[in-house]
Amino acid sequence: MTAVTVEHLTRRYGDRVILRGLNLHIARGEFVALLGESGCGKTTLLRAIAGLDRVDGGRIIGSGRPAVVFQEHRLLPWYTVWRNVALGLPEADGKRLAEIALGEVGLGDRQEEWPRNLSGGQAQRVALARALVQEPHLLLLDEPFASLDALTRIRMHALVKQLVARHQPGVLLVTHDVDEAIALANRALIMRDGRIVAEYTVSPGANARRSHPDAVSLREVLLDQLGVPADAVAA
Amino acid sequence: MSDILPLAASRVQQRRTVWAPRLRPLPLGKGFLPWIAPLTILLIWELFARLGGLSPNILPAPTKVAATAVKLIENGQLLPDLAISLMRALAGFVIGGSIGFTLGIAVGFSRLAEALLDRTIQMVRAIPFLAVLPLVIVWLGIGEGAKIFLVALGVTFPIYINTVLGIRQVDPKLLELGRVTGLSDWKLIRCIVLPGALPSILTGVRYALATAWLALVVAETIAASSGIGFLAMDAREFLRTDVIVLAIVIYAGIGVVADSIARFLERRLLAWHANYAPGARS
Repeated sequence: MTAVTVEHLTRRYGDRVILRGLNLHIARGEFVALLGESGCGKTTLLRAIAGLDRVDGGRIIGSGRPAVVFQEHRLLPWYTVWRNVALGLPEADGKRLAEIALGEVGLGDRQEEWPRNLSGGQAQRVALARALVQEPHLLLLDEPFASLDALTRIRMHALVKQLVARHQPGVLLVTHDVDEAIALANRALIMRDGRIVAEYTVSPGANARRSHPDAVSLREVLLDQLGVPADAVAA
Repeated sequence: MSDILPLAASRVQQRRTVWAPRLRPLPLGKGFLPWIAPLTILLIWELFARLGGLSPNILPAPTKVAATAVKLIENGQLLPDLAISLMRALAGFVIGGSIGFTLGIAVGFSRLAEALLDRTIQMVRAIPFLAVLPLVIVWLGIGEGAKIFLVALGVTFPIYINTVLGIRQVDPKLLELGRVTGLSDWKLIRCIVLPGALPSILTGVRYALATAWLALVVAETIAASSGIGFLAMDAREFLRTDVIVLAIVIYAGIGVVADSIARFLERRLLAWHANYAPGARS
């Protein structure tokens, strides 16, 4: 089942072409990581799919509204944790569904907390609960772990993997982090100059262990694609 | 919004940045310490008056003022005047507040309304509102209308400015979040814009309370036949400094009460905000 199909997507800012006839297909249950240098258009693509930016050409075909987790948690400071999660839900079962979603991200006991009392990792988990409670067919992750410390990031990876396996949305993860892409994705895409220029399958072995041979070789290839050759990493 | 009142902006700014130095907490009786200075002054004042160093025509003893208060309450003079003053303040505040809030909402949300209204409002705001008092007396005489009009005029602008400012300051990233969550326009306003604007609006309310009070004092002192200000001006003719001081004390007292109400509202409505949370200074 399709989570989203993007056909010939074009986006310009003045003279600059950000997206050049980009094509992309993500199935439900599939985890796709989108890698690329800053300014290659990956965030523009994600925002276009989210419906936050208009496009100049092409089509985005999806079913229902995608959910988005941004780099910042974007919790409303004037709502308690559960109200933030229940934001887009119908009033009647908002509280109940929010409770379940918060339980899933391990914050069942922080429902009545103000967002300002949460740590960065906790706030991002609430943001994840807020996205998943919508039961989206497509989950868009815009560098959601970039501002977390390294240990929290690793824990978040495990949590996201587990939740995606349970809810089976299609996922598009925009990231700079090659290791993150290898740990989470089934497929890693390289974007350059507004196009997807390469595509790699990530084996389950590579997902599971950093030191797996598949992971090691894929890391080298991806870094090379991003302009960081292996000998530079070694040095 | 370049021509927004800088005062309003700086007040909001103050609220958002807390960088008070960490001082050592006082060990005991710190609730009493701030009262030492005023009580001492009262005591010295009382002593001077008693010992004849201070003529009652200049300044009566504090106990004399208190006695006058009791007497005026007993003979039924004070409370009706107080009630009239409060009613004027309240009516003016509600009218001016509603106008300021409505205009603020319109201009805050609509670029068209801003283009049509903001310049005009800013021009009217440039007039010190007390300067129109003679004109108001010509229009409305010294009846209730004049006082309420002046209070309303003083209240409208702080509320207007801070409402516009609050709406414009709402984090666009949160609005974006609201949109991807699929909120309707109405829910976007109710769940994101208004709560986000509330700290600024309440700053406007607090500021407007002070203006309302000032407007009332001036209006009642210059043109009135009842109210606390009238009480003081009437007493002036008979050199009743005790009544005059009493009127001043009452004005001060009500000002303090109004400010406490505003603070209470801030604590209740902005409990989510770090600066208003229990334990934060305010």
